[in-house]
Amino acid sequence: MTRPAIMRQMPEIAHVDVNCFYASAERAFDPSLEGKPLIVLSNNDGCAVTRSPEAKALGIGVGEPWFKLAPRAKEWGLIAKSSNYELYGDISARVMELLGRYSAWLEVYSIDEAFLGVKGTPDHLLELGRTIKAAAARNVGVPVCVGIARTKTLAKLANQWAKHNPAFNGVCRWDSVPPEQQEALMARLSVIEVWGVATRITKRLNAMGIHSILDLKRADPVRIRERFSVVMMRTVLELQGTPCIPMEEARVGRDQLIFSRSFSTPITAARDVRQVLSVYAQMASGRLAKHNLQAKVLTAFAGTSSFNAQETSFPSVCVPLPMPTADPVILTKAAHALLPAIVDGTRYARAGIMVTDLRPSGNQKPLEPFENPHEERHIGPLLEDITRRYGRGSIGLGHAGIRGGPDWTMKRDMRSPRYTTHWDELPLVKAA
Amino acid sequence: MGVIVGPRVIDAGLSLQLAWVSPVPVAAGYPSPAQDYFDGRIDLNEHLIKDITSTFVVRVTGDSMERAGISDGDELIVNRALEPKDGCVVIAVLDGELTVKRLRITATGVVLQAENPKYPDIKVPALSELTIWGVATRCLHHV
Repeated sequence: MTRPAIMRQMPEIAHVDVNCFYASAERAFDPSLEGKPLIVLSNNDGCAVTRSPEAKALGIGVGEPWFKLAPRAKEWGLIAKSSNYELYGDISARVMELLGRYSAWLEVYSIDEAFLGVKGTPDHLLELGRTIKAAAARNVGVPVCVGIARTKTLAKLANQWAKHNPAFNGVCRWDSVPPEQQEALMARLSVIEVWGVATRITKRLNAMGIHSILDLKRADPVRIRERFSVVMMRTVLELQGTPCIPMEEARVGRDQLIFSRSFSTPITAARDVRQVLSVYAQMASGRLAKHNLQAKVLTAFAGTSSFNAQETSFPSVCVPLPMPTADPVILTKAAHALLPAIVDGTRYARAGIMVTDLRPSGNQKPLEPFENPHEERHIGPLLEDITRRYGRGSIGLGHAGIRGGPDWTMKRDMRSPRYTTHWDELPLVKAA
Repeated sequence: MGVIVGPRVIDAGLSLQLAWVSPVPVAAGYPSPAQDYFDGRIDLNEHLIKDITSTFVVRVTGDSMERAGISDGDELIVNRALEPKDGCVVIAVLDGELTVKRLRITATGVVLQAENPKYPDIKVPALSELTIWGVATRCLHHV
């Protein structure tokens, strides 16, 4: 039996990300920001984290503190916005939902980027990229670029190219570009532009005579593994076109829920890990209750950056729960079982919890001694109710209830309305 | 943060959840014979929103759409995915502002009409010169 042509195609990976995500989310609801220099500030209005191309053209660097820019903002016509996480979270979810329509193989990599497994002829793939770009602009209102290649590392690179070279119109498939052009690009770009190559490693690579991406691509993978790590070797192989970094689409199945996040700045205190775990345990409780599910097992984990070869620590603990439950008190306690494994001073880039072995709640009444005292008192639904009414972070158990610490209390003086999550902050349309 | 279930991200954290409306008065006492026929209340989300990913709610300020039944303070349900056609109520970008108008596409050009004689029509040479933000599908009118 002959297979249809499409089945014989090698799978490729599309990397999709939103251009200047925060700034684009702001512009989607406030067209007056279009074409103007716009920056979005970090927590507490500290420094510029996202810059529109116009702001970049003014020479504003990423991380530039707002107090330095503010005095000249008027003269430049520079507009600054506080981070509007409610809006960005919603727009991100919409983009990811949309991307899910184009591939059954989706890995949400961060708030504004995802990898999609794709298959097809070169023309199909380019057409798919253009379709995705048009749909994001039309349905959600944000500009995206798409890079398509055989490996994740090359897909990222293709995306970067698509962003910087207008000739691509925002969509670049690596293998559709003639090899001499690929090499010319790789020769022009520093190794630091490669996904997963840190500044620190760059210096050591330079010392070995590896300066451009092309140098790295041509390096001997074995030698790289000996000098650096298996992680760096994978990067070399990926640049050569051999897929080494798998898609993580299987992270969540129907019988498990994961709550996890990478931190933009690593956290180093056990106290902070505790807070993160508490928050996620309570989010898991809320989600389970909403879907009338109970979990039997909770896994809590943390990890250093996978690109940090010097420091590798991935503590994880699997806790069988005393009974199938969605109870926030029990889940929070279980999540805290990870804490003895957390070492103060280690730079954790990620932490989270996973609940597994899910089952519908209430189809089996536990024997009296095993009844859960908290469930009896409906603490879970009460917490959910208060959260719904007064917002996330208004109440929580233990450390999840404390909105202290640098990450949780924020100054957001220049925040735009939370257009899509609050009835009293809807976008206004003029009827005049 | 999204949680992937199969290929889809669930919990946008922002579904436009509207009230549930009960069609059946709730009876106390012995079980109602109607129980067997009950398979869920009507859901306003289902009725009003066809594509949650591309649907947004906006609030109207001003009286230029009065004759279309759209008053100051009403909310409009806007689907960005729909193609703007002649006769649609659209949200157009005019001078950097979101503006609600009736779209007219004729042989001689494109016109953005108000639904109130106090406001003049706005003529546009071609649809391509206009940014249509979305197409309004419903008005949540305050009575």
